[in-house]
Amino acid sequence: MPTGVSVAGRPFGDAQDVTITDDRQHPSRMLEVRDLHKTVAVGFRRRKVEILRGVDLEVRDGDVFGLLGPNGAGKTTTLKVVLGLMRPTSGSVTLGVRGLAQLGYLPENPYFYDYLTGAEFLGFAARLFSLDARERERRVAAILADVGLERAAGVQLRKYSKGMLQRIGIAQALINEPRLVLLDEPMTGLDPIGRVEVRQIIQQLHERGTTVLFNSHILSDVAALCTRIAIMRDGRVVWQGAVAEALSQSPAGDLEGFFMDVVRA
Amino acid sequence: MRVAAVAVNTFRETIRDRILGVIILFALAMIVASLWLASISLGQQDRMIKDFGLVAISLFGLIVAAFVAASLVRKEVEKRTVFIIFSKPVSRSEFIWGKFLGLAATMFTVLAGMTVFLFVLAWVVAKSPSGSLLLAGLLIYLQLLVVVAVTMLFATMTSAILASVWGICVYAAGQLSHNVLSLSRLGHSAVTHAASVFVFYLVPNLSAVDIRAAVVGEGAVAWTSLIAWGGYLIAYLVIALFVATWIFRRKEF
Repeated sequence: MPTGVSVAGRPFGDAQDVTITDDRQHPSRMLEVRDLHKTVAVGFRRRKVEILRGVDLEVRDGDVFGLLGPNGAGKTTTLKVVLGLMRPTSGSVTLGVRGLAQLGYLPENPYFYDYLTGAEFLGFAARLFSLDARERERRVAAILADVGLERAAGVQLRKYSKGMLQRIGIAQALINEPRLVLLDEPMTGLDPIGRVEVRQIIQQLHERGTTVLFNSHILSDVAALCTRIAIMRDGRVVWQGAVAEALSQSPAGDLEGFFMDVVRA
Repeated sequence: MRVAAVAVNTFRETIRDRILGVIILFALAMIVASLWLASISLGQQDRMIKDFGLVAISLFGLIVAAFVAASLVRKEVEKRTVFIIFSKPVSRSEFIWGKFLGLAATMFTVLAGMTVFLFVLAWVVAKSPSGSLLLAGLLIYLQLLVVVAVTMLFATMTSAILASVWGICVYAAGQLSHNVLSLSRLGHSAVTHAASVFVFYLVPNLSAVDIRAAVVGEGAVAWTSLIAWGGYLIAYLVIALFVATWIFRRKEF
């Protein structure tokens, strides 16, 4: 049975664009990105700008993986290519899961449907995975409890606070019980309580064996949560390895110092 | 299943939007205003209520069709809700068709409500219930579905406001295309006639299913022609949605 999905130069939002590859040779590999390039045309003259310049990335099964880098390094673009929202110019992405059905995603600063209630929105997300009514009901109730939003289930999303929206966003990413979860800046714009809540959710996912890949600028959260990290700069991964290894290479023994050394090198 | 999920979600989101409620209130107020026009039209009360009421339904239905259809696609792109949808196993065609069917359901609810209101008004005030009034409402719905499909097609290529303007332009052109073709036959320029024929086939001939004249007693409904042109408009909207899907599949977010 094939377990991997490869994408090269095509989106796989449409089923006919998916190329299934057998990935059993690497059972511990959840995501592998090889020599990924992405060029976009910008401005009136359609000037070509290369925003990914050969990204290599490997996320293993069970990792909480932090993707770090300054603004414009290519972190979000890499995630978009992995999801098929953007087509790579060249390179390959291999997933250790059966396509989008086993994958969850939370975009940066997500916007949701104002006039839907939390429960309706999660029900909608569940229907996109073709779950039957009973299973949808079970999962919506369970996930609302997991993210602490049972009481707000019947409230329209326009009345949610920023922290509640972030939690409902994570809930929709988990509705299909994914094996790999991609979170784009999940702590951005949250107050300290909201950050702690999101950290707890990521910690719970790790304890359940779910692989999590997230972007963040908040290095203390990365140090506290991640098992492995990659640091991107100018469209490339310039360092990749275990958090413990990064800390051991830092003169001050902190992730911030190591990060600054790597991006300034 | 996924098309239905997107459609149900779109229906819920649009039907609860407060702006839609305001538009419906204005439309109902305008239909009621036809009573005043009827009161100053000696011997023409029945005709004024029906004619003015159908114009109000068309006008406010057009506002909903053009503006909501454009925002349905563009808003999802601009506010990045498409990231959430396309990170799940949903194809671009399922998204476009789901959005269309959801708005079609909303439009049906809105237009059915307004048409029944007008029917009851004509019945109670002018003592003249007319089945053709309900048929006229249904045909206005068909015209507006074409506007929804065309506006969605434009929304895959340009901004929401431009897509709405284009949608309204297509509606206006669709109401006039038959007249333009007739007028060009009166002239002697082969170029003008050829251009008119081209425009006639390019824009949807919406006036072909307009039965307002029959509703107010000027002529009868030509069923054969109505069925043929109705089929043509359904084919037109299906093609517009296929083109929208084809363009949307090439989009990167």
